[in-house]
Amino acid sequence: MSVLRPFKATDMFKFNNVNLDIWTETYGIGFYMTYLSRWPDLCCVQEAPSGRTMGYILGKAEGEHADWHGHVTALTVAPEYRRLGLARKMMHLLETVSDEVYKGFYVDLYVRCANHLAIDMYEGMGYSVFRRVREYYGTLGIGKGGRDEEDAFDMRKPMSKDVHKRSIRANGRDMIVSPQEVS
Amino acid sequence: MSSTAQERQMKPVYDALDSGSNKSAVVACDKLLKKQPKNVLVKSLKALALVRQQKIEESLSLCDDVLATKPTDDAVLTAMTHVLRGLGRYNDVIGMFEEAFKRHPTNEEYGCQTFFANIRAANWKNAQQIAARMHKQFQEDRYLYWSVISAVLQANDPSTPAATRTILYKLAHRLIESSPTPSYFSAERFYLHLLVVRELKLNEEADKLLNSEVGQKICSVSLACDDVRRKIWQDRGLSEQEGEHAEKQIAEKGDRNWLEVLAVLDATFTGSDSSAKVEKARELFEKVASEDGDKDRSGLLALLELERREREVGASSDLERLNALLERYFAATGDKACCFEDLRPFVSLEGHQQQRWTAYLEQVPPSFATAKDVQKVINVQKLLRFSLPSSQITVDAETERVKRYIQYYHEALPVGASLPSTELQPADDFALLAGNAFISLWELTRDYKYLYSAASFLEFALSRSKQSFLSRLILIRIYRLIGAPSLALEHYRALNVKQVQHDTLSHLIISRASTFSLASTGDITYSTECIESSQIYLSNSQETPEFVVRAFTGERYSQIPEFIDFEQRLENSLQRDNIKMEHLRMRLTHEPIASDLIDMELIELKFIFDKIHHDNRDFEIFPNYQPKESQGFNQQTLLFGKSEGLGWLSIFLKTYIRAFQQASDLDDTVEDKLLIGDRPKQTGNFDRSLTLRERLVSLNEDELLELTDEEKKFVEFAKAVADWLEPYHDYARPPPAVVLAEAAKQTELKTGHPLKGIEIPPTNGNASHHKKDDKPPAVVDPSELIAQYFEGVKQRFEVVKAAPLVDVLHVATLAQEAFLLFAVETTRFKSPSVVKMNKLGALAASFKPIRAEALAILKRIAGELSKLGEADATGRPAINAACASLFSSNIDSDFTNGVARKIVESRKKVTEGISKGLTKIVTQHSA
Repeated sequence: MSVLRPFKATDMFKFNNVNLDIWTETYGIGFYMTYLSRWPDLCCVQEAPSGRTMGYILGKAEGEHADWHGHVTALTVAPEYRRLGLARKMMHLLETVSDEVYKGFYVDLYVRCANHLAIDMYEGMGYSVFRRVREYYGTLGIGKGGRDEEDAFDMRKPMSKDVHKRSIRANGRDMIVSPQEVS
Repeated sequence: MSSTAQERQMKPVYDALDSGSNKSAVVACDKLLKKQPKNVLVKSLKALALVRQQKIEESLSLCDDVLATKPTDDAVLTAMTHVLRGLGRYNDVIGMFEEAFKRHPTNEEYGCQTFFANIRAANWKNAQQIAARMHKQFQEDRYLYWSVISAVLQANDPSTPAATRTILYKLAHRLIESSPTPSYFSAERFYLHLLVVRELKLNEEADKLLNSEVGQKICSVSLACDDVRRKIWQDRGLSEQEGEHAEKQIAEKGDRNWLEVLAVLDATFTGSDSSAKVEKARELFEKVASEDGDKDRSGLLALLELERREREVGASSDLERLNALLERYFAATGDKACCFEDLRPFVSLEGHQQQRWTAYLEQVPPSFATAKDVQKVINVQKLLRFSLPSSQITVDAETERVKRYIQYYHEALPVGASLPSTELQPADDFALLAGNAFISLWELTRDYKYLYSAASFLEFALSRSKQSFLSRLILIRIYRLIGAPSLALEHYRALNVKQVQHDTLSHLIISRASTFSLASTGDITYSTECIESSQIYLSNSQETPEFVVRAFTGERYSQIPEFIDFEQRLENSLQRDNIKMEHLRMRLTHEPIASDLIDMELIELKFIFDKIHHDNRDFEIFPNYQPKESQGFNQQTLLFGKSEGLGWLSIFLKTYIRAFQQASDLDDTVEDKLLIGDRPKQTGNFDRSLTLRERLVSLNEDELLELTDEEKKFVEFAKAVADWLEPYHDYARPPPAVVLAEAAKQTELKTGHPLKGIEIPPTNGNASHHKKDDKPPAVVDPSELIAQYFEGVKQRFEVVKAAPLVDVLHVATLAQEAFLLFAVETTRFKSPSVVKMNKLGALAASFKPIRAEALAILKRIAGELSKLGEADATGRPAINAACASLFSSNIDSDFTNGVARKIVESRKKVTEGISKGLTKIVTQHSA
């Protein structure tokens, strides 16, 4: 049970319980406002009935021509609200809007190759690996997981406009690109 | 001159500005100005380079020259926008663009800039008119909607009277109707349209919009539009329709948004015949619960909420049903972390039902085999603790609980043994529960050994779960309470607080930080923390307005009011000014008390005093697992039991403004003349008919409640001194003309230009020798309160000497503050010529015994503190013992001794530091 509502600028005053987390970055205020001033319909919050923030998603629409798509920039859920399917609900909203409003060909996201839990979850939602981006997460350095820790999978899910399913390919995990090629 | 030639000529200036070499930019400009003394662009760029170097006076005269030419050149306008913003002269930005737009009414860019300048200054009415004019001129629908949202913003401004509000909404509606394209052209325009329709209660139109195919489509994908739709239906009492709509969403579309559940519930309890509707709702939620299984908990929670509301209206006859639902809920979600928070609103039970609930929880067998088992035991313990009656919150019972939590913690630890260090441990919450129980024991006994034990145990838990920020939050509060500020700061820094979090979380460390500040010894750790925490306010004032502009350009009407609200709440944040106040208190201990410090602070504090404040501080972040009967974790662990709220800020502002005002030569007329930027709007909630002085001297009771006893004494002293010295300051302060003449002289010396707008009256010889017509006010003796103040401090210090360290530091630092404030108040009379000229020799003489006594007592306190610092080190075995008494053999003594050592060192550092600082101040002022 959670309230799904648009992300508002003033939510920045109450996202500490979500953001005091090693995997969640707190950006400058301009970052959030860039998203809100361009793609407010791709940004939403899940809130407990008590008003406490449970998690949020920030997304955008980008790319040209057949590459026009929705992108998940940040998806985060506070530790105590994990494993409740909140991420799935927020992803669903983002996909619906990317499909119906923005008419994107697909939705994509980046995930650490070592993050098997997340990869399984996204696969369960219909995403598949499109390519592997080398050293995408440079900041933490090579950890226990070796290169997997730093590399990212670019995972995609086709939307209705992608009739030829060009955003799916069987050998995505072997398609290695450098971070310069993706951003 | 050809434009390329001009470009070439200007290149060195722009290059220097771009690379931040403002000095060479000035040199380059001067070179050009020699050949073309009237080149406006060069002048404006020079002004920009000067502003960036903080050479305000010099840039001002250039700035005025340029504005007088009424510039219409793009490059000049851009440069001047930066100059004027840098000077805080937003009204001049408006004037400049208005003028340019008037001269070139077909220039769309000038129109936009004029519009944005007005938005920035919150001149909604002007903005609305400009947008309307732009719409006529350029025939762009966008501008029409800009004028609509401007009207809405004006209507929603708190200063707009209710009657005008409706007129403005009607205007907005007329404007939308005049649009050649329908609003559903974009979801954001549609949103704005719905807002207006809602406010004016235009039901037919609302139906038409919402029932249309395109309207329904928009609401299905836009949460913002759907939200207004919901509100429109609610306003109209259409909760039954809304309920039907929600029911469909839930049953057919699988929507599990809690708002839909609430809509069904609202409909259920509206109108008559609720019992049938309750049954219907129960059926719906039962169906959802069984369909979703353990995938989603909405159905079960909806049943609980239904039950709760039934009881509220007195309709539920089945007393056992709530218990049955609670048990069912626990059985389904007891192994999830959210269970406790989910159930909290429903477990305020009584009598038999409470007993049944407790018995149910107690029979859950504690098992620690898997993370889910551990979570279940945690939930049981949290829920049991939450329901404890006050009769069961005793030292013995809480001691038993601490033992249990710690035992469970150790039993649960192995479950997370293989997790990477970046993960939280499943056992963590037992440590948090133990932390809460320790705090409760301390509250019951005021025995600090519980805090030492808690610190030691939580440090251990943190060593096992490095990312547990909740453990750190408890530790920060504990370390402040036991007077180990450097450890608190260490944990605070490890939280890695960033950006906007500074506003919501810096209270953790900066609240009453002057108690711990060693700025008097030159250690500016805390002052630096104040400055760093304040950066966010600068980013806000620089960045947020740009995003408001972007939201207009991109027509994101749902965001515009939100951005403006966000900017205002951050700009006028209570925490911002709490930081400011603490920083000022620290500054005074290590900077010389001189007129520039006093004048600058005075102006700033007065602006703050006129503002309305928003409290954005996050107190919800603490892991509060205390019984519902208790005050809760936050209140229990506040330093001195008091938060620095609006009342605290208001009293400290009044105290310092009054002292600085007396010490300063700037009276209102002088300040007006010397003020460079725009005067900020007075937004505070105060009686506008009162003078500033009347507001400063009134201390209201509610505000005083937020002060500690020692702070109250300090404020009384400050007030008594101010009351006593006011007439002498007023008599001895040089007249405005003389102050202005002096300021003009200084400016001219510095810049080579006279100060604009100030006429220097002819003086007969020496300006400082103005004639006094009146006799000086008769010198009276200081009141008993003033004369006895430091003696009182001495006595109180003797009493608290044996008390907890923070209380000792509190008395000591406030004594220091009182002395410095006295120094501020008496600085004017330190000059023998001022005393002689004003015949105030008797007054100056009466300061001497007060100062001498204060110095003697501060010196004595410094000595005592130094001894205390030593003694604390010898008391270390006690702290060692407390840290070790953890009812547990699983933590070795090396670890607990290490914690004890750090605590002792931190306490010693602050005690000796404050002592040294006091000694330094005594020496400085004895000279």
